[in-house]
Amino acid sequence: METGAIIMLLIGAIGLWGGLALAIFNYNRAAKREIAD
Amino acid sequence: MSSSMQDDVGVRDQWGTKLGFLLAAIGSAIGLGNIWRYPYVVYENGGGAFLIPYFVALVTAGLPVLLLEYSLGNRFRQGAPATFHAISPRWEWLGWWQAAISFVIATYYVVILGWCLSFIYFSFGEQWGDDTGAFFIGEYLATSAGAAPEGFWDIGGVQLKVLIPMLIAWGLIYYLMQRGVSKGIEMASRVLMPTLIVMLILIVIRAITLDGATEGLNVLLTPDFGALIDPGVWVAAYGQVFFSLSIAFSIMIAYSSYLPRKTDLSNSGLIVGLSNAGFEFLAAIGVFAALGFLAVTQNSEVAEVAGGGGVGLAFIVFPQIISSMPGFNTVFGLLFFATLFFAGVTSMVSILECVVAAIREKFDMKRAAAVNWIVGVAATLSILYVTRGGLFYLDTVDHFVNAYGLAVAGLAEVLLIAWVSKTLVQQRDHLNAHSYVKMGPWWTISLKYVTPILLTTVIVYSLITELGENYSGYPGSGLLFLGAGGVALTLILALALSLNSRAPHDEYVHTLKE
Repeated sequence: METGAIIMLLIGAIGLWGGLALAIFNYNRAAKREIAD
Repeated sequence: MSSSMQDDVGVRDQWGTKLGFLLAAIGSAIGLGNIWRYPYVVYENGGGAFLIPYFVALVTAGLPVLLLEYSLGNRFRQGAPATFHAISPRWEWLGWWQAAISFVIATYYVVILGWCLSFIYFSFGEQWGDDTGAFFIGEYLATSAGAAPEGFWDIGGVQLKVLIPMLIAWGLIYYLMQRGVSKGIEMASRVLMPTLIVMLILIVIRAITLDGATEGLNVLLTPDFGALIDPGVWVAAYGQVFFSLSIAFSIMIAYSSYLPRKTDLSNSGLIVGLSNAGFEFLAAIGVFAALGFLAVTQNSEVAEVAGGGGVGLAFIVFPQIISSMPGFNTVFGLLFFATLFFAGVTSMVSILECVVAAIREKFDMKRAAAVNWIVGVAATLSILYVTRGGLFYLDTVDHFVNAYGLAVAGLAEVLLIAWVSKTLVQQRDHLNAHSYVKMGPWWTISLKYVTPILLTTVIVYSLITELGENYSGYPGSGLLFLGAGGVALTLILALALSLNSRAPHDEYVHTLKE
């Protein structure tokens, strides 16, 4: 694969799937805090 | 259908669990367009460079509007017409317009589900033969002998081989809708969404391990940063984000109205928005890797085999890819068309649910009666699309409803909240009340300035293109009657429904005013 395509693949993967992972992590953390409260 | 709490008038449906809501909302956002539209939008608008305007559009328009709809639905706990009525009685029509648009979309969306069912069957032994275009257009749809524009009004007879799978799809949708929010939509989403994601991952793994996959990925992702100075690329990014997230359908207002008040709305919205974006990015990788394989097999260029996306990609190009594969052709065919079908079913039930919620609230109807009426009328209208001219009518109505109906309804929604009723701050307060991630000034600025300006630009851009040449070369009479006429009819219907002041939600509106 061309370098430019690999870089954009990584940007897309980190931005979208990484962002999703972070949102799920935050969601679970908030849910645990809610249960603790 | 057994009677349940959900059949009772005045008893509001609820999601069984928050996870169930999340899966249903993701299922609503992820639809056919994620698989057959997004990859081509990326490819035609700067390749990998398109990700930049796409991210910007997601953050400044897609996610803000999605969160606004969550906030509206959860705060007023009603469908769209009653929600807008609560904000200002004069704006109830907007909720009805969104519901009417969703209803029109449901009438043709189910036809495509029927095509998917047929192609699941055709996958056994690759029954589409060598000329997949002739098979789909000529043999299966039996589209009018004369191509558009001459054959546009050649309605012809109903095609039984298209009608029967559509009726099977209607049967499944009817069953899920009658079961209600938690036992029908939520249960289906809990099964279909994880299955859908696993199936897509399997498709992508198979696609990227085929010869020529890297050719396809290079075509898809190699960035052309020069394209970023083209305003059309930015319009495409905002259009893609807007149409992909089930915004302005009134779906998310209805879905979030079934949530408990103490819900982390912001994080839920972020998860739904990013799941949708992540899914379509993955689908684009799978689609273009497979197109790269087809190009190598045919000793051709990816651009030549790619076609124009949409229906052609799914039902003409992909059967070619499936037939060209070195092994497990039937399994790959089943996976691909079942993926399309599952993505479509979870979107279809959400499209109908917002109409069911609106009708039940306005006319004090039991769920069973509302579903009977809505599915009955929609199923009757959908017969138009299984005639010999059905493909032309579907394409025309879809184009106009999306480009003008949804875009204008979305713009009106944002203008109502941000500029007319000036209730953006109240909505933000409600959103932040139980949310871990708080919405700050960017949310307000996006909704007040960025979204209205960009949506107006998208609409004007579509209009200019429209006036330049007839969409798909269809005759002006067809575009005017079915396209513009269809959108106008939804608006007239909406205004008529809002003129009837009798509303079960009046009591709730008074409570709010007190």
